[in-house]
Amino acid sequence: MTSLRTNLLLIVGGLAGILVTLFITHTMFDGSMEKMTGTETWQNILLVNVLVGACILLFVVELRRQAIRVLLTVIVALILGFIVTFVFNLDAADRFASGEFRAQVVSDAEPSDDDDVDLEYNKRRGGHFNKPNVVAPVSEIAWTFAGSEGDVVSLLAYAKNRRSEVDVLVELRDDSGAVLAAATSATMTQVDETFDDLVSMKDAVIEGFALPADGVYTLYSRPEDVETGTVLAEAMNQSQLAFEALLLGPIERVNRWGVWIQDAITLILLGLSFAIVFRAQQFSLGAEGQLYFGALVSGIIALNSPNIPGILLIPFIILASGTAGFVYGLIPGALKAYLGANELVSTLMLNVIATRFFEMVLNFQLKPPDAGYVASSKFTENAILPVIVEKTQVTIGVFVVVIVIFISWLLIRRTPLGYEIRIIGSNLKFADYGGVNSRRTIMLVMAISGIVAGLAGMHLATGIHRQLILNISFALAFEGVVVALLARLNVLVVPFTGLLYAYLRAGAQFMERDANVSFEVVRMIQAIIILLITAEALVTFFQQRQKRADIDESGHAVAAVEDRDV
Amino acid sequence: MPIIETQNVHKIYPNGVHANDDISFSVEQGEIHALVGENGAGKSTLMKLLYGLEHPSSGRIFIRENEVEIGNPQVAIEHGIGMVHQNFMLVNSFTVAQNIILNRETKQGMSIDFGAAVSDTAALSKEYGLNVNPNARIEDIPVGMRQRVEILKALYRGAEILILDEPTAVLTPSETQDLFAAIRNLVVGGKTVIFITHKLKEVIEISDRVTVMRDARVIGTVNTAETDERELARMMVGREVFMQVDRPDVTRGMPVLDVIHLTYADDSGHQLLKQVSFRVYENEILGIAGVEGNGQTELAEVLTGLRPPTTGEAFISNEQILGRGPRSVREHQVAHIPEDRLTNGVALSSSIDDNLIIDRYYREPFTRRGLLDIKSIVDNGVELIREFNIIAPNGAIPVNALSGGNMQKVVVARELSSTPKLLIAAQPTRGVDIGAIEFIHQELVDQRTGGLAILLISADLQEVMKLSDRIMVMYEGEIVGIFPNDESLTEERIGYYMLGAERQDAVEMERYA
Repeated sequence: MTSLRTNLLLIVGGLAGILVTLFITHTMFDGSMEKMTGTETWQNILLVNVLVGACILLFVVELRRQAIRVLLTVIVALILGFIVTFVFNLDAADRFASGEFRAQVVSDAEPSDDDDVDLEYNKRRGGHFNKPNVVAPVSEIAWTFAGSEGDVVSLLAYAKNRRSEVDVLVELRDDSGAVLAAATSATMTQVDETFDDLVSMKDAVIEGFALPADGVYTLYSRPEDVETGTVLAEAMNQSQLAFEALLLGPIERVNRWGVWIQDAITLILLGLSFAIVFRAQQFSLGAEGQLYFGALVSGIIALNSPNIPGILLIPFIILASGTAGFVYGLIPGALKAYLGANELVSTLMLNVIATRFFEMVLNFQLKPPDAGYVASSKFTENAILPVIVEKTQVTIGVFVVVIVIFISWLLIRRTPLGYEIRIIGSNLKFADYGGVNSRRTIMLVMAISGIVAGLAGMHLATGIHRQLILNISFALAFEGVVVALLARLNVLVVPFTGLLYAYLRAGAQFMERDANVSFEVVRMIQAIIILLITAEALVTFFQQRQKRADIDESGHAVAAVEDRDV
Repeated sequence: MPIIETQNVHKIYPNGVHANDDISFSVEQGEIHALVGENGAGKSTLMKLLYGLEHPSSGRIFIRENEVEIGNPQVAIEHGIGMVHQNFMLVNSFTVAQNIILNRETKQGMSIDFGAAVSDTAALSKEYGLNVNPNARIEDIPVGMRQRVEILKALYRGAEILILDEPTAVLTPSETQDLFAAIRNLVVGGKTVIFITHKLKEVIEISDRVTVMRDARVIGTVNTAETDERELARMMVGREVFMQVDRPDVTRGMPVLDVIHLTYADDSGHQLLKQVSFRVYENEILGIAGVEGNGQTELAEVLTGLRPPTTGEAFISNEQILGRGPRSVREHQVAHIPEDRLTNGVALSSSIDDNLIIDRYYREPFTRRGLLDIKSIVDNGVELIREFNIIAPNGAIPVNALSGGNMQKVVVARELSSTPKLLIAAQPTRGVDIGAIEFIHQELVDQRTGGLAILLISADLQEVMKLSDRIMVMYEGEIVGIFPNDESLTEERIGYYMLGAERQDAVEMERYA
């Protein structure tokens, strides 16, 4: 029975993994085998995609039924995100009411010699309807022209060029203001053959009108009123474009895929760091500081070792950055274990110290004197993590992550220390009662989680930026919290949630680039998605607590009564 | 005429638990009606329905043959229903009289007439024979008197039907006798009492009729005079229960634990253990009797290394064990069933397997070459689940999925399987159903017969008297008496010691130490 279920999970997870691997690869190369094999280092791309599939397998097998909940949350978040995008795109139709336009009166008749009018036959005149950010925007025009009885005139109002999407109407009025003729659109023939100037069928044309008398007439034009249907359709269109960019953008081309994977490497490392320490119910937020220390140490080594071959230098950098993270995690660990200092406060303070120390060293020691901005020199080739996929920054960091995931799993699930961590996380008093040296374990778990965060700093410095820059973490550290929570603190699920989260981040970036969605909106949509995801993880957390304390309606705690009630 | 009656009452909680299933029962005017049942049988839910704390999903409730809808406790009180909760709901810094009139104050102009409060309280107290001191503060009076205050409070609000939820759980034997006398007085005065308990002996002693509940249903209502403990237990559990444990005579062996002048003061300097000295021998259960909060908890925690002692020593097989932490104590083959299993006995969200190895995970065969041996851990779980009859599908499920009794069996299984020389068992059957109590009692006695030394701490005096070879009484952190548990020892006699009314002198104590 149990083995049947396990096998079923393996099959479902395996199938999902294979499908995703194939889908990503297919989309990246437009389904063309030649295009794939024609790409440099395509074997490595394939390898990374297989690893992505493996993460999905792990996700299904580890979370079982909860996997569905996580997926549902993400789907609901995406739907909400879509609604927000839609709302923010409700102004998409505004472009039909604003833009540069031209108007003219076309006629073969003799032009009048009246100088007191705005338009002459066959002379273009233009303007900008509802120009944004001007004091008195033009919302309509009424330009006069002189004509004689029997003149056959055509009145045109049209967008200046293809960039302007303004949708205008045109009217012919006599000098009393009565409308003699009106039009809101043009025919295909008019656009393609009769009038060269027209841009599209949105333009307005009154063709071949014979003027009834001599006198001054008016060409009146303004943007057409936008109908609600158009507004909604336009918003829908734009939102669809945006979400296509969000959902498929990161796997459209190899370089975009690279952005996703390199981000995922950092996020997975940070997620692991948080998952390990949260597992022991220690709410240490020190990853940011540990990341900065890891980055700083790897940077200093990289800048000072131009002549050591990479094959020796890279392992040394990895070890040193891990050690830096370990030491920087040990400090709040010892403070918590032996002095009872709250880890939340101490780690946040240590983060400030680490980031400022990093900035100070960067600014006063590492920055080349002639540099125009605060950054170290570029690292030499031997100190940069070797790239495994050309045209991207996907490095051997991939393998580092795979190894770290394996070791984290081994630590948590297969070592006595991991057992202690899990038990402390479940019930500290039980651990003490059972004889666990919980102080030592708490200190160690905080330091070990620091190793992983230090490695994330190493990856950012030597894999991505290839130099030390200010703000090297881009506040990624705290996004690691979301990755860990979404994975239910399960180190084997973190790779999946890290990939998912990095995908949404990358997608948001491409959404901004490809679709007409502003950066602020992208950030808001992202925040909504994070909020929902985090809320879902918190719901699980609170449900567990609910079981312990049952409060009845009148506010009496009845848990104790129930407990002794035989 | 039934004063209170329910017809086909159902209660289904939003989470789907069917806590009351077609409950029809009635209580006659002027009777003492006991309501018994195992943990989760639905007694508390039923009482909450009567007191308006919960609302029935369907079914009807009658008071004096009129159908009523009890929306909240206020309505229940208006109908003459009063409830005394197990956890007292008194304001500790107020006096007895102030607590009794709370929210029902007689006003004298703008201010409360405290003189009237005191005289009303005194009158009420006298009328029902519930002796209280109206001017004493709640925090200064003993538990038994606090309970009487709760009862008076309900009476002051005009209660005709009193629901007492496990009233004897916190009382000493003599206090229990006082309470019973008061209950009889109330009934003579025309009141009706619903008495919830799990102590069948008390049911037989005090009640007129008994309603037994099991699995959310009423199993039956019987006249107390026509039944006995054994039949009631069978109705509660649904099978034959052996109320007596089989405790064969064995001669005790060598001393295992030797405690000498142990003193413990907490951070604020309160002396919670004073010069405690005693021994526990092989093949012996030494029971500690005492009202809760007289140092028993601290004694267990100091001996198991969870608290450091202030002064004094304790030896296991001539090795000093104090002050070195729980692991060192455990390595001296001391096992510990903790008083509050939810606080330190189990890790609720961890698996049963993980809970069963907390004392041994770091040793072979559970850890080999620095890595956990999953197979050994699972095998250990499978074996203990079978041997200790823990009802669970497998060892991988978290402990919080188990019932209270099965959770306790996890604790007992772990502690007894650690091949201890000494077991410190604190409240080993608290909050555990009868079936599991029976199992745990038999297991403790079997282990003792097999050579184990057991220090049994229990607030349930009957349990102590049933299992122990010797009984030691603690009062205010001191040992005030040690007795061999033979026929001559009665609950009443121990009760006097528990209340501090009597104590042995050094010579007497030495006789059985």
